[in-house]
Amino acid sequence: MDRGAAIAVKRFLLLRLALLVPTLLGVLGVTFLLLYVAPGDPVQAMVGERADAETIARLRAELHLDDPLHVQFGRYVSGVVQGDLGTSYITRRPILDDLLARYPATLRLAGAAMLFAAAMGIGIGIGIYGAWRPGSWLDRLATLAAYLCVSFPVYWVGLILILVFAVSLRWFPPSGSGGPAFLVLPALTLGMRSVAFLSRMTRAAMQEILQSDFVRTARAKGLPEGQVVLSHALRNALLPVVTVLGLDFGSYLTGSILTETIFSWPGGRYVLTAIDKRDLPAIQGSVLFLSLVFVIVNLLTDIVYAKVDPRVAYD
Amino acid sequence: MGQPFPLLLVLLAACGSDAPAPTRLEYYLTADPPSLDPALSTDVQSGEMVALLYDNLVQFDVDARLQPGLATGWEVDSTGRRYTFHLRTGATFHDGAPIGAAEVRASMLRALAPDSRGGRQWPLLPLEGARAYAAGDAKTVKGIAVPDDTTIVFTLEEPLNIFPKFLAMPVAAVAPAPLPPGFRERPVGSGPWRFVSWSHDDALVFARNEEHWAGPPSEDTLRVRIIPEELTRGAEYEAGLLSVLEIPFGETRRWEQNVPDELQRRPALRDVFIALNTRRGPLGDVRVRRALNHAVDVETILKTVMAGRGVRAAGAIPPGIIGYDSTRAPFAWDTAAARRLLREAGYEKGFAVQLWRGKRSEQARIAQAVQQDLAAVGVRVEIVERDAPSVRATVRNGEADLYLGDWYADYPDPENFTYPLFHSGNHGTGGNYAFLSDSVLDAMIARARATPDEAEKERLSRESDARIHRLAPWIFLWFPADVWAAQSEVEGWRIPAVFTGQRWTGVRRSQ
Repeated sequence: MDRGAAIAVKRFLLLRLALLVPTLLGVLGVTFLLLYVAPGDPVQAMVGERADAETIARLRAELHLDDPLHVQFGRYVSGVVQGDLGTSYITRRPILDDLLARYPATLRLAGAAMLFAAAMGIGIGIGIYGAWRPGSWLDRLATLAAYLCVSFPVYWVGLILILVFAVSLRWFPPSGSGGPAFLVLPALTLGMRSVAFLSRMTRAAMQEILQSDFVRTARAKGLPEGQVVLSHALRNALLPVVTVLGLDFGSYLTGSILTETIFSWPGGRYVLTAIDKRDLPAIQGSVLFLSLVFVIVNLLTDIVYAKVDPRVAYD
Repeated sequence: MGQPFPLLLVLLAACGSDAPAPTRLEYYLTADPPSLDPALSTDVQSGEMVALLYDNLVQFDVDARLQPGLATGWEVDSTGRRYTFHLRTGATFHDGAPIGAAEVRASMLRALAPDSRGGRQWPLLPLEGARAYAAGDAKTVKGIAVPDDTTIVFTLEEPLNIFPKFLAMPVAAVAPAPLPPGFRERPVGSGPWRFVSWSHDDALVFARNEEHWAGPPSEDTLRVRIIPEELTRGAEYEAGLLSVLEIPFGETRRWEQNVPDELQRRPALRDVFIALNTRRGPLGDVRVRRALNHAVDVETILKTVMAGRGVRAAGAIPPGIIGYDSTRAPFAWDTAAARRLLREAGYEKGFAVQLWRGKRSEQARIAQAVQQDLAAVGVRVEIVERDAPSVRATVRNGEADLYLGDWYADYPDPENFTYPLFHSGNHGTGGNYAFLSDSVLDAMIARARATPDEAEKERLSRESDARIHRLAPWIFLWFPADVWAAQSEVEGWRIPAVFTGQRWTGVRRSQ
């Protein structure tokens, strides 16, 4: 990368980082408004059954829930700026501690799913082109499999995998967390849709690029076919794949709750429980945290994109 | 490139070797307990874990009989307001600190203190001065006195015969006060199980307390997994990785066919009902409420939706509780009688109501069946399905016409099914979702709460329940039965009658 391009990348990154602030403020504002209009009372969830009106009124006052919305919002934002995401109404623990205790598990699962999806998706895509040939019966079979992978609901796939590989074959534990064996079934479930997308995308990109001028030139120079495919064609074919991988990884990090629930995997269910209990600080903290994660993953994707393709201009 | 799938499966199978062998007791909760602090225990999950980690002065056994805990016995004076508890000597917290009367008092004051922000203080609020203390208006609770290290005297605002049962509730469990550092994540109790670890939304691990005054539990470790998904729990049990499993209603027949020898059944201390908001429109007329009871074919719903797991309810007090009357006949399914009652009340053309319900799958089927039955007598039901907090808020604010709900016993007493659910002092948040106001019933319930005479209490409770049935503030559905499976090698486990009743002390694996 020359000096001009490096400056452009830096400017781009600084701009994106500066945009983080209004983005997160917007997310916070919308979340606050939605929670304000949503039915349900956090204090009633806190106190359980048989609470008297006196206790409920006292707790509402202590938690400042009767303050005007803008006052509550201002107080919350001021806390966030100082690194305080608040304290959960239900667990009474700092939100940040709760999130940090759970998030590494989500990260592990998302990472495993992504590795599986990338290896399988790209591998199958190349395999189709390199070995199986487009239009062959293997290619058609792979197309059918991809459609099925995309169409099956995660819930169904997860349960079938549990029944086959955990209950019948006993190869893996049905659910929970622990060593690598616990990761296999949830990672397969979570990554399956991406495998389908990535294999189709790699296949299409390979087909297009192997017919382009620079590949013809490479072949004309007498380079071996393997080198043409792996060194020249694949790098270019991976450009759209990187984008999809980044987006999928972001969604895995923020939206694998269903898979985590089926496999009793700790992590993202925190926000679900918070919603169920109307634990307002926990919901706001989770949304803020997940938004930040999503934005950062997108930013990293852009950086990787620039690495893979130096022609990308950051204007 | 070759075909990757077989290779992948081989690799996956190779890393399957660290699947754990079940060498200990494995229980589960459906959600991570919000807290292991007794003062903050507001739900079943927390309550079950508190029962493992802590002791109360008295506690329920698996059959919900009140047993000595940290107290060896107690007596009540002739006024019914003054309870004297005698503590056992030598009991200690898991860190070795002794437990005397002063520690018990300090623990209760902490649970009541305003800065604990515990919502479930109600079992301690009958103590004299407790309300003022909880509101921050008093420096101490007058009603707790400690004359010596092994005696604690409770004075109540008014006579209350169920007070010892209140002391078996999680909020009254004895915890160190002030709390030791890190208590919220590494709690210290005195119960039969010591805390080992807590991986949130994953598992809690407990080790047996060798020093427990009642003797240590049979097994050395109890692991409690967090498994939210019903079908996953079934798979875990079938894979031999859970010691016990609650059988969902919809799965009953399959389990009865597959593993009949592993199943246990027990009538639950629980009501399933549709509360009729007596403040809303036609539902204020008792003839209308009785008509709705006659219009619903409860027997068929019980048989088809609930796999016959339960007995029809003809009141609110379930079997197994004093005051239950097995001779009282439920409302007969009689659409002609329902139409006649509606006509007499001036609603021969029927009316429209909303039925609020939560998201559980069996609730959907029950609501649909009720909707169909009521339509047959001209009552048009719109089913409103919302998440639990929305339903809770609407019902407690008195904005729902009909509410499909259930009520679990916190403690085995008829009062638990009459006072919160039907006393006019408990409208909405207190548990009276029908907003029933009946001064005669209020007086009967109050007398049943106060009398020291057990026979009179039973009579008053039975009469209260009969009156509740006549007033028909609910469509009385059924008292369900719990069905659980226990692995054949797990010995000594029984379904507890109340949620704090199974402490896993006598449970062991035979292999």
